[in-house]
Amino acid sequence: MAKRQIELGVLYSRSGNYSLISEACRIGALGAIAHVNSDPSRDFTFHAIERDPMGNIDNYEPLCTDILTNTTARHVIGCITSWSRKEVIPSLERHGGTLWYTVPYEGFEASDRVVYTHACPNQHLLPLLDWAFPTYGKRAFLTGSNYIWGWEMNRIARETITGAGGTVLGERYLPIGSFDIERMIEEIEATRPDFILNSLIGPSQYRFISAYHELGQRDPHFRPETCPVMSCNLTECELPALGEAAEGLIAAGPYFRSDTYSSEHRNFGSSHEAMSYAAVMELARLLSLGANGETLSISALLEQDQTGTGIVDPQTHHTSLPVLIAQVENGEFVIRRRFAPVLGDPYLSRGKGVLQEIGPDLKVVS
Amino acid sequence: MTRRFSARELGGARAVILHREHTTVKALSRQLTAIGLRVTQQWPSLGAAALGADFVFFDADLGHDEQFPWARGQSPMPLIALIGSEAPGRIEWALTAGANAQLIKPIGDNGAYSALLIARAAYDEALALAAEVTDLRHRLSERQTVVQAVNFLMSEGADETAAFDRLRRMAMDWRVSFEVAAQRVVARHTGKRGSDERRNSRS
Repeated sequence: MAKRQIELGVLYSRSGNYSLISEACRIGALGAIAHVNSDPSRDFTFHAIERDPMGNIDNYEPLCTDILTNTTARHVIGCITSWSRKEVIPSLERHGGTLWYTVPYEGFEASDRVVYTHACPNQHLLPLLDWAFPTYGKRAFLTGSNYIWGWEMNRIARETITGAGGTVLGERYLPIGSFDIERMIEEIEATRPDFILNSLIGPSQYRFISAYHELGQRDPHFRPETCPVMSCNLTECELPALGEAAEGLIAAGPYFRSDTYSSEHRNFGSSHEAMSYAAVMELARLLSLGANGETLSISALLEQDQTGTGIVDPQTHHTSLPVLIAQVENGEFVIRRRFAPVLGDPYLSRGKGVLQEIGPDLKVVS
Repeated sequence: MTRRFSARELGGARAVILHREHTTVKALSRQLTAIGLRVTQQWPSLGAAALGADFVFFDADLGHDEQFPWARGQSPMPLIALIGSEAPGRIEWALTAGANAQLIKPIGDNGAYSALLIARAAYDEALALAAEVTDLRHRLSERQTVVQAVNFLMSEGADETAAFDRLRRMAMDWRVSFEVAAQRVVARHTGKRGSDERRNSRS
């Protein structure tokens, strides 16, 4: 019997400021689609409907609407920046679509039309700061690109740092794509913080990290041992753009390539790839639960799932993820700290639970 | 005025939706539950249990004063109007009912979070302003007492400036407001005079 074909929107920019990230996500999504399509036990195949916004914010909404109105796709995997995600939500609402958003973001959203499969602040920023305070100190310098990710990450960081008795020595932003990093570097050199929280994206970030690396050559205080740069969205997929300057960078995330902790992990290039793969696999599982799953809304699909094996929380559409803190060593992320999976809490309203630390040599027995 | 919002305070907060069973209630409940609030729906009026709520959302389309267990504009928590019909009469009523923020129907996928934060900020500010106005009114009404107190102190030989300064020092020493210090001075002197009068009347 011929399998039925389910169209699936893929909305990743193949050029522009954040193309390394969107390429990693796209590889994960297409890998999962290929995996689903080669699985003889499934009664359907996915057919990818790809649209390329080319890194231009104004292309996202029209292309999402194009997918939802000119094809039968109800689910779209895509968007990198929060800005683009917020642009497509009205279109998803109008046309009954669902976006699978697979990159870290700043929280404070729980759309009925979006599934968030990567980490939000209780899964990246808060554990990272908790770990950094006793390790490096509480005097921070905050950087970011001029849009919602940087602004909100730094607002949460400021609240957390001052709440813990620490100090924010500076907070600087650059327009997306800007190379104007001299002032940031000068201020960091003058204020001598204990660590830098970096929420810059794309080429601005690459330029900043390279300049900061040079600063560390001139003044040993600014080396990773005493004043590291920490990020919540840096993964292996951007290391090639950073070269040697990446040494010592610290990142929080749900997956790193070198992590052999869980045997069920395939060998993904980065968490961007892993979470995009996981999103498509979860969608495939939900669509397999009943007949005509492709006509149901995401809430209906989640409601219908009584298996208890789903990864998506029906209340917030966020997922439960492990929290890993890693540092670049000889070009690879090495795990410094590992916490058991914790559910995404987008509004940080469910209290600050104590994360369960898992030692590097311990295994979770399930 | 700078404000620091801490969303963490919203976790576990209680919201009551005063609205008939409707998709409005369902959509709003979904948003509020995702934010971390506990939600109940009530109709046609708010029971006494609503007095313990942290936020009340009310229907501005079918609403009327008798639905609320408090006097008009005296709610013990922030109120958010759910507005369908943007008729001026209904908006006027929602305002007199004490709406601190509003959401426009149909309620979709967002809006509740900003309504919660704006309503709470507006409510807190209105409360602080009301307290300040009460305090100022009180001080205004005590003007006469202050004049009396200064007069009494002048009768003890001080000029007006010295009497005023003395009263201010008393307030500081006693750690009370200027007006309370004035009340004490007046009470002391009228008490003295009262006993003088009684003595005089006896003789």
